[in-house]
Amino acid sequence: MAKVAQGDLDVLQILFKRHHLHVFNFLYKMSGDKMLSEDLTQDVFYKVIKYRSSYKNGKFISWLFTIARNSLKTHFTRNKDRHTDLEQVEHRIGEETKNEDYSQLQHALNKLETSDREVIVMNRFQEIRYTEIAEIIGSTEGAVKTKVSRALKKLKTIYLESI
Amino acid sequence: MNKDEMTAWIAAYYDGTLTPEALKAFEKKRKDSNEFDQEVEAYGILFEAITTEEQEVPSKALEANFLKMLEEEKVNQAKVVSIAPERKGWGFGVLKIAASVAVLISIFYLGRYSKFTETQNQITLVERETVEAKQMAMLAMMENQSANKRIQGVQYVEELHEPDPAIIRALAERLQFDENTTVRMAALEALSKFQSSEEVKLVFLKILESEKNPSIQIALIQNLVNMREKKAIKPMQKLLEQEDTQPFIKNEINQALPKII
Repeated sequence: MAKVAQGDLDVLQILFKRHHLHVFNFLYKMSGDKMLSEDLTQDVFYKVIKYRSSYKNGKFISWLFTIARNSLKTHFTRNKDRHTDLEQVEHRIGEETKNEDYSQLQHALNKLETSDREVIVMNRFQEIRYTEIAEIIGSTEGAVKTKVSRALKKLKTIYLESI
Repeated sequence: MNKDEMTAWIAAYYDGTLTPEALKAFEKKRKDSNEFDQEVEAYGILFEAITTEEQEVPSKALEANFLKMLEEEKVNQAKVVSIAPERKGWGFGVLKIAASVAVLISIFYLGRYSKFTETQNQITLVERETVEAKQMAMLAMMENQSANKRIQGVQYVEELHEPDPAIIRALAERLQFDENTTVRMAALEALSKFQSSEEVKLVFLKILESEKNPSIQIALIQNLVNMREKKAIKPMQKLLEQEDTQPFIKNEINQALPKII
């Protein structure tokens, strides 16, 4: 990514191929909406192109998922007349995207609070390390580790009850 | 070990990140505690579900759109001409700030001045319009049938500094021909405020020759004396010679003439 920041745009193509599925799946697991996730993934990589010069040699994954997370937040903030609170998104996912064919696990995920769901999706599904998650959500490694453990416990209870 | 640490431990077991020593301890704990073993099994079901959860794949349009955006950016990047910032001493920066401040102050005062001028012009215009309106009202009132209104109209002249010639003529007309003496006296009094006016002097002289009303005669004589108008001597002498001139008028003329001569 440092090369991109210096103007080598061809490298971006490699980065896109390597990471766009992770970003897309993170957004899908968070929103439960494929179309929205596709639009937001495009928006994330558009921002990567546009704001490449603001990248400061940190972990690219952290930078990328920070953009993705902010894009999702911005989307729900702009549509707050439909979603009065970001924390209520999980209760609406089922209502608004009935056409989506969710797995049992996705149903269980949807029942978690947004902050719990995002750490689990990042850590367990996208295999992002605690330190990088801490950078993304602005926390510490220890706090993230605890949060992931507690969220996993909740998810386990919900999931096992549903199967 | 608390519950959160226990969960992290189980997660690390399934991730395969436990050290050999930690793994031994983990296996031992499973054998020793049925409850812990069940917990590990339960998490095993969850982690199995997570591992086998199918990844969703976006449409081909996503990559196509990304490549399009990238190409556009490359074209834009090619267009950008990089200019290295010119480095000049700090003095140059200070000069730039000083110049900016000077320009700002100039603009401020220029704005104030132009606004002031504009306001002044508007005030002058309004004042002129007010005077014109008053003069119109005055002329109209002087033609009114009511003597009171005519007097009121005449008295409006006091508010004017430089009345229009039309006003002087209207006042002279009231002085000469108005049937009401009070109106005539008011007109005379109003005209007497413009003693420097040649037109007023001529009106006074003309009226003095033919005037029969003693009050008007006295007022005219006093005004002409104040004006030091030498042309008044002749009509005054004529009044002295006339038999129908009242004695107190003749007396007034006798006192006035030496002041003019």
